[in-house]
Amino acid sequence: MVQTAAWVTSLFFMLIVTAVFAFVAMNSTEKKDYEPIKKKWYKARTFYGSALIIFFLIITIYTLRDLPYNQPAYGEGREPEIVDVEALQFGWNISETQFKTGEPIEFHVTSADVTHGFGIYDKNLNLIAQTQAMPEYTNKVYITFEQPGTYKILCMEYCGLAHHLMVMEIEVTD
Amino acid sequence: MDTMKQKISRSSNNLIVTYLSFGGIVILVMMIFGILMLLAQGGVLNLPPASFYQFLTIHGTGMIGASALAASSVMWYFLRKYVELSTKVFLWNLVLFTIGVLMVIIGVFSFEYASAWTFLYPLPALSGNAWGTTGALLYLFGMLILGIGFLLLFLDTGRAIIRKYGSLSKGLGWDVISGKKAEKDSPPSTVVASTMVTIVNVSALTAGAIVLIMNVINVINPAFTFDPLLAKNLTFAFGHIFANSIIYMGVIAVYEILSKYTNRPWKVNKPFLIAWTMSTVFTLVIYTHHMLMDTAMPKWMLIMGQVLSYANGLPVLVITAYGALMIVYKSGIKWDMGSGLIFLSMFGWVVGVVPAIVDATIVVNHVMHNTKWVPGHFHMYMGLGACAMIFGFMYYIAKEDSNITTTLIDKLAFIGYTAAIIGVSGSFLVSGALSTPRRWATHFPEWMAPANFGAAAGALAVFSLAVFILHFIRYIGKRNKTDNVYKGKKLA
Repeated sequence: MVQTAAWVTSLFFMLIVTAVFAFVAMNSTEKKDYEPIKKKWYKARTFYGSALIIFFLIITIYTLRDLPYNQPAYGEGREPEIVDVEALQFGWNISETQFKTGEPIEFHVTSADVTHGFGIYDKNLNLIAQTQAMPEYTNKVYITFEQPGTYKILCMEYCGLAHHLMVMEIEVTD
Repeated sequence: MDTMKQKISRSSNNLIVTYLSFGGIVILVMMIFGILMLLAQGGVLNLPPASFYQFLTIHGTGMIGASALAASSVMWYFLRKYVELSTKVFLWNLVLFTIGVLMVIIGVFSFEYASAWTFLYPLPALSGNAWGTTGALLYLFGMLILGIGFLLLFLDTGRAIIRKYGSLSKGLGWDVISGKKAEKDSPPSTVVASTMVTIVNVSALTAGAIVLIMNVINVINPAFTFDPLLAKNLTFAFGHIFANSIIYMGVIAVYEILSKYTNRPWKVNKPFLIAWTMSTVFTLVIYTHHMLMDTAMPKWMLIMGQVLSYANGLPVLVITAYGALMIVYKSGIKWDMGSGLIFLSMFGWVVGVVPAIVDATIVVNHVMHNTKWVPGHFHMYMGLGACAMIFGFMYYIAKEDSNITTTLIDKLAFIGYTAAIIGVSGSFLVSGALSTPRRWATHFPEWMAPANFGAAAGALAVFSLAVFILHFIRYIGKRNKTDNVYKGKKLA
């Protein structure tokens, strides 16, 4: 799951940062001449900076390979179901709420009034996809449900006093 | 002449102290609103949604406004050593800030205005009958007045830098980068950082003023409409840049104070100048990482949002934080509250950058945008980074300007504050990993526990910050009695 990967990755690097700062703090009260320190650590910085740039480049290329903006390549005779979604204060107008597993779906999302957020939650309340619901614009979510169950649509952008009540259920069956 | 200088110095120091007191107290009060919201989300406090969203609006607006106010005084304090700044403009900013804040408070609490601090068009005008025109106009005009104050301040810093150094590009050291000038003639780090802040904030405040005025017209005459995606771009260009500038103003305290405490110069060299130019450009353009879930945006802008957000981490990770670590390492530094908080702030900034960069990754943002992961990372680098810079500066100036001493309680507050902000931010990050949406007045039971943990940690933050502020108030009392002026006391 993406959330777990994000959490573990963040925790790992945050712990490294903590260790580095703790190490420097623990070695701060001893006094040494600054020039040799500068010389040594400027050299190290060249390596560290280059490594960081390469690391970022690799992660960038890896994570940009498959973007949620891209319409999937549908096979012959396997057209997606287009579902029109209109958000409004404070509810959802969705043209279809019953879906089949394995069926490619495109949610075409807009808003009748203010900006909302269209978030799809699985039965364990994990957010699996989202887009903004904007007045005058249509944003798209491409999804194929793998598991049957009751999914929830939650508003993900603050839209007024009943923002947290904008919850709707959709059903996915085999 | 010296007496005159002392009087000027005293009056501008009074202003700095007022800025810091105002900022610190507002941050403390805003923390209390934050705790109340977390308790409501945790199911402990029965808060009506209208009150929750008013608290949300005032908390976001107040935190950003107060931190920016206090951080601008940090920048002003150090920048005036190098260029001639206008005390009148500095005073006017405070006056306009106060007027703006009062209007915002009246709009929110008397007229129930609750658009959140992002006031996303057309929400100010379309509230679903929750608030009316008066509340919206009070808030929007309040923000506009507050913004004008800051705009005047940054126009003045820009004017002063241009007057002394010739141009803003020279303030950023471009003539050194291009080799026209030697490294030894580089502008001081404070001037470089202030130039960057001036450029980005004048841009941000202009964008903010445009979108505020558009909203004002729409509220008065709903027949006047404009492109919501353009409005969103302007709002996030303003909000992202202005909020980020707080840490770039605060970092001036890191440069000045750490080098003073360690007796090591923070050398300005080409990599340093290039890093600040990178920060200037990236800070201006990466706001699109707030719009990664707006698929109607041009795809290249969203991809650039990710790529440049990564790149924006480089100047801090490779230059500023690395420089802070180098300058402290085996320096024989004598730790006190000021230096401790300043060092902590660099840790807070870097550690907060990690989940921020993770969230700027499009595939991650797809399932974490507008979850509590977002406040998780910004509470970390604002609370443990930017605010620690401000509070560290408050302890520093108190020590510089009076004979006040710190006690064990201050040290305990330091530990408490650190643990508290890690606790608050950590609870938000856990909530985000659990997919909890942000800005929800209530939570499903599965999402309540981290909110309550965050509230408890927030209470510890309030107590700790109260100790910091009491120390500062004690200093003001001593300062007024002893008639001290800035003496440049030796600290290390």
